[in-house]
Amino acid sequence: MSRRLSIALLISLVVAQADPAFAYLKFGVPVNGRQVTLRWAQTPIRYLVTNVAVPGVSADDFQAAVGRAFATWHAVATASIAYQLAGATNAVPGRDDGLSTLGFVNRPDLDRVLASTSFLVDMSTGALVESDIFFNSAFPWSVAAGGEANRFDLESIALHEIGHFSGLGHSALGETELRAGGGRTVLAAEAIMFPIAFAPGSIAGRKLRADDIAGISDLYPAADFAGVAGTLSGRVTKNGAGIFGAHVVAFDPATGSMVASFTLNTDGQFSIGGLSPGPRVVRVEPIDDADIDSFFDPARQVDIDFRVAFVDRVVIVPRAGDSGEIAIAVVPK
Amino acid sequence: MTRVARTACIVLLFGAMAARDAAAQSPPAGPGRIELAGGALWIGRSAIGAADANETTPTNGSLRLFSTSSDLAGAPSADARVGVRLTRAIAVDVETAYSRPELRVAISGDIENAAAVTAVEKIQQYMIGGAVVWYLPVSRWPRLAPFVAGGGGYLRQLHDQALLVQTGRYYSLGGGVTYLLASRPDRWLKATGVRVDARAVVRRDGVAFAAGSHTAPTVGGSFFVRF
Repeated sequence: MSRRLSIALLISLVVAQADPAFAYLKFGVPVNGRQVTLRWAQTPIRYLVTNVAVPGVSADDFQAAVGRAFATWHAVATASIAYQLAGATNAVPGRDDGLSTLGFVNRPDLDRVLASTSFLVDMSTGALVESDIFFNSAFPWSVAAGGEANRFDLESIALHEIGHFSGLGHSALGETELRAGGGRTVLAAEAIMFPIAFAPGSIAGRKLRADDIAGISDLYPAADFAGVAGTLSGRVTKNGAGIFGAHVVAFDPATGSMVASFTLNTDGQFSIGGLSPGPRVVRVEPIDDADIDSFFDPARQVDIDFRVAFVDRVVIVPRAGDSGEIAIAVVPK
Repeated sequence: MTRVARTACIVLLFGAMAARDAAAQSPPAGPGRIELAGGALWIGRSAIGAADANETTPTNGSLRLFSTSSDLAGAPSADARVGVRLTRAIAVDVETAYSRPELRVAISGDIENAAAVTAVEKIQQYMIGGAVVWYLPVSRWPRLAPFVAGGGGYLRQLHDQALLVQTGRYYSLGGGVTYLLASRPDRWLKATGVRVDARAVVRRDGVAFAAGSHTAPTVGGSFFVRF
């Protein structure tokens, strides 16, 4: 391992310091001058849980809730990722010790951060070698089956963080409104990887959505899915020039599911992978339901000055192939 | 067995019984045992499903982003048919049809007020199958033969320059009339005529966004020769 790099991902007001790879939801790291998608090289991924308890959540409760969240990702039939509990530990998440550790840490200074995931990356290959998740015990937590008023559901938050742990970035499939006192309230989301958590008491975040499943399947395709999954790609332009950061949503009229990505370069190009073959409706919108730095480096110029638009043709995702470039022209607001 | 398939079987059974009864009479459809035909069909519009793009609310409810309603638009179709007379009143057809209907997805009600759009794609549709035709012994005019027909077959639909193929089945049930333009029972070419028919075509699987059957009306006309 020649060099290592730590990357922080936070569930609320997240800053992703890595550049996005040329695909949705995934992170890329530069290796020998080219962008490599961040992923684990081998599975099962072994993890440890700390034996720290907090009010309402014993160490055993914590291990069980986190175990359920890992099992949910593991159960995706079209993905090959697997996880394995290696035991309990007294270690604190966030140490670069080669062990992936999950546990509570009291960080009252991070008053908008429920949990965060950090990575250790082998910069010679781009492979993940360690990923730690800390849950901020400054917030009230619950593992109650039906949720608990005014407490955040540990399993839901763990499900989101394990998505990061596995190499996924954020999704913009959600609707929010600004709160009077600052921040945003989530009205609805259709991706566990949406960067803002549901309100305390909600347990709606315990189930993966199509977008999450496409993301993990694209990153770790199961053998039989790799020969089936297709991609949808194209270019979004405004006044003839490509735009960076447009949110592109592929809707499947047969299932009602949505999978999304972004235009990830200044040519306005996008690619959505991990899709089952079939017709799609394509919608393009600006990122206006979360802070842009939840998705991109704040230094990047993301264009949000355009109107929501649909592609006026039905786009076909072929079996194990690409749709061919879809040209989408949007107009300023 | 679907309702349409059941009905087709009943028609077949009924036809066989009627054929036996009518055996002593002249063929209701006119002379000739083998029929070759070519013509055109109009396959009507068929609704194939409606779906909303929903996001999940914190209480596990739904927030609709937009709605879609999809159909296969009506389209003309080229039709070819080979028929074999089994009895005086019963014939079996092998038929094929090719058309290019539009898949149309109407998008409306966007939560961010995007303009309503109908997304369109032209598909290629092949139907290859067969039908049992029962010529009814009821015509007052010797050249005119009413019939009922029921059948089904294989449906193959190709998207966007064959990027994706979807297959299914179809069933059809309907009726029509044949009209003999010329009848020469003692010649090699025994008859020529035209046929018009109307059918309900029920598609299963193939291009469809909702489970179950999707019905389209069809009307068609063809020219035939009999040997």
